[in-house]
Amino acid sequence: MATEYVKYVDVTKCDGCRACMVACKNWNDLPAEPQDFLGTMQSHANVTADTWNVLTFVEHENSKGNLDYLFRHSSCFHCTDAACEKVCPENAISYTDKGMVVVDQDTCVGCGYCVQNCPFDVIQLKNYKDENGKEYRKAHKCTMCTDRLDEGLQPACVTTCHTGAMEFGEKDDVIRKAEKRVNEIKERYPNAMVYNPKGVGGTHTIYVLAEKPSVYGLPENPKVPTSAVLWKDYAQPIGKAMVGGVAMALAGAFVANKFFDKKNGGHEDNGGGNHE
Amino acid sequence: MSKTQTSQVQVKRFSKAFVVAHAINGIAFIGLYITALPMYTEFFDWLYPLLGGPEGARLAHRVLAVAFILPTFIFLIFDPKGFMNWMKELVTWKKRDLQFFSEFVKELFGFKSKHVKQTFFNAGEKINSILQIVCAILLIASGFTMWFPDVFPTALVQWGYFLHNVGFGLGFAVVLGHIYLSVIHKHSRPGFTGVITGKVPAEWAKSHYTEWYEEEVKKGNFPDLDDPKNKKNKGA
Repeated sequence: MATEYVKYVDVTKCDGCRACMVACKNWNDLPAEPQDFLGTMQSHANVTADTWNVLTFVEHENSKGNLDYLFRHSSCFHCTDAACEKVCPENAISYTDKGMVVVDQDTCVGCGYCVQNCPFDVIQLKNYKDENGKEYRKAHKCTMCTDRLDEGLQPACVTTCHTGAMEFGEKDDVIRKAEKRVNEIKERYPNAMVYNPKGVGGTHTIYVLAEKPSVYGLPENPKVPTSAVLWKDYAQPIGKAMVGGVAMALAGAFVANKFFDKKNGGHEDNGGGNHE
Repeated sequence: MSKTQTSQVQVKRFSKAFVVAHAINGIAFIGLYITALPMYTEFFDWLYPLLGGPEGARLAHRVLAVAFILPTFIFLIFDPKGFMNWMKELVTWKKRDLQFFSEFVKELFGFKSKHVKQTFFNAGEKINSILQIVCAILLIASGFTMWFPDVFPTALVQWGYFLHNVGFGLGFAVVLGHIYLSVIHKHSRPGFTGVITGKVPAEWAKSHYTEWYEEEVKKGNFPDLDDPKNKKNKGA
C-alpha cells in the first residue's frame, strides 16, 4: 500500500441533509427501501445490504443540560484489521490496494459469518431469487466507491457533501486535520474526539465526533472478536495439523503392518487372537 | 477371519438399537463433514456444485444435523441397559486401561504385543467415545447458535463459530483413527462387521474383551472356549 487514503467525517459540520445517502443509492444503483416512520428524523434504523449509508440523528442532553442534535454519516469503517475479512470462509472479502474492504460477490456464499462478527454491525446479507425461483444470499456493504477511487474520483458521498463535513484524503493529513478540529470545538463539545479505533487497527473512515462514541451508538473500544482470532489463527491451523498428523500416523501404521506381515510370512491371520 | 472352527462361533456383541444408532450417527457424521468441508477450507470448494450450491449444502447440513442428534435417543430409549453400561464404562478407569495404551501403540504399528484384559469397551474405545461425546456436545451446542443467530446474543454466536471449528478438527482426527482401526487395521476388523451385524467371532471377542467375555460365559450366554469340546479344532 503506497499512500493510505481515508474518508474524513466531521460530524460537527453535518447539517443532516442526507444528500450522501441519495448520492450513494444513485451511484451504486441501490434500490429504495421504504420505511415506516421511526419516531425521529432518521430514515432507517441501521445500514442494510441495500442502504450502505444512513444519516443517524441523536437527541442528546449535554453536560450543561442543553439539547444537542447530533448527526452522523454512518457507513462501513473499512477497518485496517477487518473482522469480516478475517472470518470469511471463502476469502470473498479482501482489502483493495488502497486499504478498502470489499466483498467479491461471485465468491460470497452468503454464510453470514461476517454479519455476526462485524464490530460495527455494518455488513448485511441480501436475499436474491434466481430465474428458477432458487433463493440465495450475498453479503453487501459500502465499498468506499472503490470503482470511483480506481478512476481517480472520490466517493460519491464525499463529492456530494455540501457543508464540507466529508473529505477524502491522505491518512496522515486527515488525522492532523481531525486533531486540529477537535481542539477548535473543545469549548463547545468538551467530549469531542477523533474516532479511529485501535482495536481494529484503525479505520479508513476517520470521524471527528462531538460526543463520546457511545452517544452515537458506536462501540467505545471496537475490536476484532477474540473468538474470531482464536478461531482463525489457532483452532483452524491446529485442527488441520491434527488431522494431518493423525493421517500420517495411520499411514505409517498401515505401512508398518504390511512390512511386519511380510517378515512374518503373513500367517498371523487370526484376528489378533495371539494373546499368549 | 480364522480358518479354525472355534472362531466361526459368533457371539452377540451389539444390540439392534446400538447398531441402528451407530449407523445413523456414522452416516450423519460423514454427511455433515462432506457438507461442511467447503466451508472449512476453500480446497474443497469443488464440492459446492455437487451439493446444490452453498444453499444446498447449508440445507443438507441442517437435515443431517437433526439426524446426528437422534442416535443418542435411539440408543437410550431402545437399549437403556446398553446405554447405561456404556456410560458406566466411560467413567471407570483402572490400571488395565493405562496398560492398554502401551500395548496398543505396539499393536497399531504391527509390533508384537500382548492383550491386556478389557471389559466390554477397551480403553481406546473409551477414549474414542469420550472424545466423540465432547465433540458432539461442542458441535451440537455451537451449531444451534450458528443456525439461529437471531435468538442468541452476538457473543455466543461468535464463540459458536470458534467451538464449531474446534469440534470439527478434533472430531475429524478422532474419527480417522476410529475408521482406520475398524475398516483397515486387520486385528480389529471383526469389530467393523460386528457393528453392522451385531455379532463378532467368539474367539476374537474373548481375546479382545476377555473380562466381558468371561462374565458372559459365567452368565451362560457365551460358549466357554476353553472347554475341551469347544477346543478340539484349535490350531496354530
